[in-house]
Amino acid sequence: MSIIEANNIHRKFGEGTLVTHVLKGIDFTAEQGEFVAIMGKSGAGKSTLMYQLSALDEPTEGTLLIDGTDVLNLNESEKTSFRLNTLGYIFQNYALVPDLTAEENVMLPLLMRGGAWNDAKERARHSLDNVDLDGKYSNLPAELSGGEQQRVAVARALTGKPKIIFADEPTANLDSVSGRQVIDLLEHLHRDYGQTIVMVTHEREYAMGCDRIIHMEDGIVTKVEQLK
Amino acid sequence: MRIFRIGLLLGWRQVQRANKWTTLLIIFVMMLTFLNLIAVSGVLVGLITGAERAVRAESIGDIIISELDGEDRILETERILKELQSYPEIVAYAPRFDGGATLEANYKERRDLSGERDIASVAITGIDVELEDKMSGLSGNIIDGEYLKEDEEGYILIGSYYTAEFAEQFGDIFDTLDNIKPGVTVRLTVGDISKELVVKGLVQSKVDEVSLNTYIPEREFRRLFGRIDRNADRIVVRVTPEGTEDKVKASLVASGLDKYAKIQTFEEGKPKFITDIKNTMNLLGTFIGSIGIVVASITIFIIIFINALSRRPQIGILKGIGIERKAIEVAYVLQAAFYALLGSALGALLTYGFLLGYFERNPIKFPFSDGILVAPPDETFLRFLILFAVTLVAGFLPAWLIVRQNTLNSILGRK
Repeated sequence: MSIIEANNIHRKFGEGTLVTHVLKGIDFTAEQGEFVAIMGKSGAGKSTLMYQLSALDEPTEGTLLIDGTDVLNLNESEKTSFRLNTLGYIFQNYALVPDLTAEENVMLPLLMRGGAWNDAKERARHSLDNVDLDGKYSNLPAELSGGEQQRVAVARALTGKPKIIFADEPTANLDSVSGRQVIDLLEHLHRDYGQTIVMVTHEREYAMGCDRIIHMEDGIVTKVEQLK
Repeated sequence: MRIFRIGLLLGWRQVQRANKWTTLLIIFVMMLTFLNLIAVSGVLVGLITGAERAVRAESIGDIIISELDGEDRILETERILKELQSYPEIVAYAPRFDGGATLEANYKERRDLSGERDIASVAITGIDVELEDKMSGLSGNIIDGEYLKEDEEGYILIGSYYTAEFAEQFGDIFDTLDNIKPGVTVRLTVGDISKELVVKGLVQSKVDEVSLNTYIPEREFRRLFGRIDRNADRIVVRVTPEGTEDKVKASLVASGLDKYAKIQTFEEGKPKFITDIKNTMNLLGTFIGSIGIVVASITIFIIIFINALSRRPQIGILKGIGIERKAIEVAYVLQAAFYALLGSALGALLTYGFLLGYFERNPIKFPFSDGILVAPPDETFLRFLILFAVTLVAGFLPAWLIVRQNTLNSILGRK
């Protein structure tokens, strides 16, 4: 069974004559341990699709099963809990809590799951070590470079060992060196730990390490490119 | 617990990283609110408490002994006075004989016998000069002239309200006499008996009962009023330490004195209007203080709202990564709690560490009272609880409004 199974996903914005039909009946599946990239030009609907798949938004129409759970039938609180326990996120703007240190940012999901403080701290440090941020535990996000912040975000997404990681243009705000580091990190996680990853990107170079690339244009899938 | 822990982490870190001056300003506002809540009603109640203290010190004392219902005066006064001497807790007492009389002045200079006489209906109290001074410190209230001497007759002390000069500020409320000063002769008439007396001194106090009275020695009073039985109208008693009056009263009752007189503590015998005014002032103070609470709660609401609104994307991200709404709301409520706690603590420190002592040493001079600041800890704590609860609600509401918004819209900054 696919870990993500989305059928006939539509997403419309606005009402009446001002409706914008962003996703027009998309079918999407991802297998356990698969690394899928969604590519397309700006406005193609790739981020919107990812938000539907990752339970951050609700499609206007369609069905969505993630790890066998009918996500669209969950209430707000159940969805939050589902996201905490099953999904990990990496956003293009890093999305770190500016008042918390790198270590505390990574600890947050663990604490929310009920983990003990010291245990969460140890695991957070271990995750930060894995993304080469040892020695930066106590730094605030503002004291880190863009690449380092994104690596903290990666560590946060991974530390709870989620079943699926969604990455929304994780390299968009990074220079090429930092961007490459983040992509290498994701590829490494996929390769070594068999992590399911869905990544939105508009740079083909970064999508080349994926198993499959889904091309989108104007709200529909135009091509599926199987790389591995 | 899990929710609280995350909320505490998020809330505390926000406070830690916030602009220090802004935090200080918020705490300062909360401190002022606390003071407004405590001090306004405290001063208003203190105004009456000051008056109450003065009445206790200069008039009624700690225990009041008066005639039984149906009697004209205290029975067996001499016996009661002897009994009072045997109590070590009783440091002073004074019998008082009360009556009404007419006082006339300037009659010697009166040329037109058909013209209006300068007379006033006065309250008159016969006192044991020495005991009364020990009890109420009456000599300390002499503003012109001298206090009466033991065994001296033919002299009178006149309360300032009966003199035209001092009573001007009260308008036409009391009968007054012109040109009253020490050394002037006045005529006191009780029924058919008149006697000329020399004004020995003028008495003024913030206690109306003192300023609106005249005093002559008890022996002379009894002669004028034909009171040969020596039974007084009132006996006022001072005990030490203050607060033992209930115990002393119980002993007096146990010794059977209540057969001859009504025995009441100050609390029992004080005029009811004092309690009524005190309650009214308290209510008024609470009302004014409540306006302060409303202002503070709006302030907190705006602060938390702006804070939460400016962090809307982060709130969205927190929800996105699985942090429960309640934890985020707790973070903002805890911030509000922090401001309220610290502000109130500083306010309490200022109130109990400085203001109470300051106003005790330097009472506010009101025309009818030396006002102090009254802040009973139990009432203060209750008001703090109200302030705290209102602040928590004011912190929760904006957080709730922002946190309930759509997660993705919050992350992307969409409306």
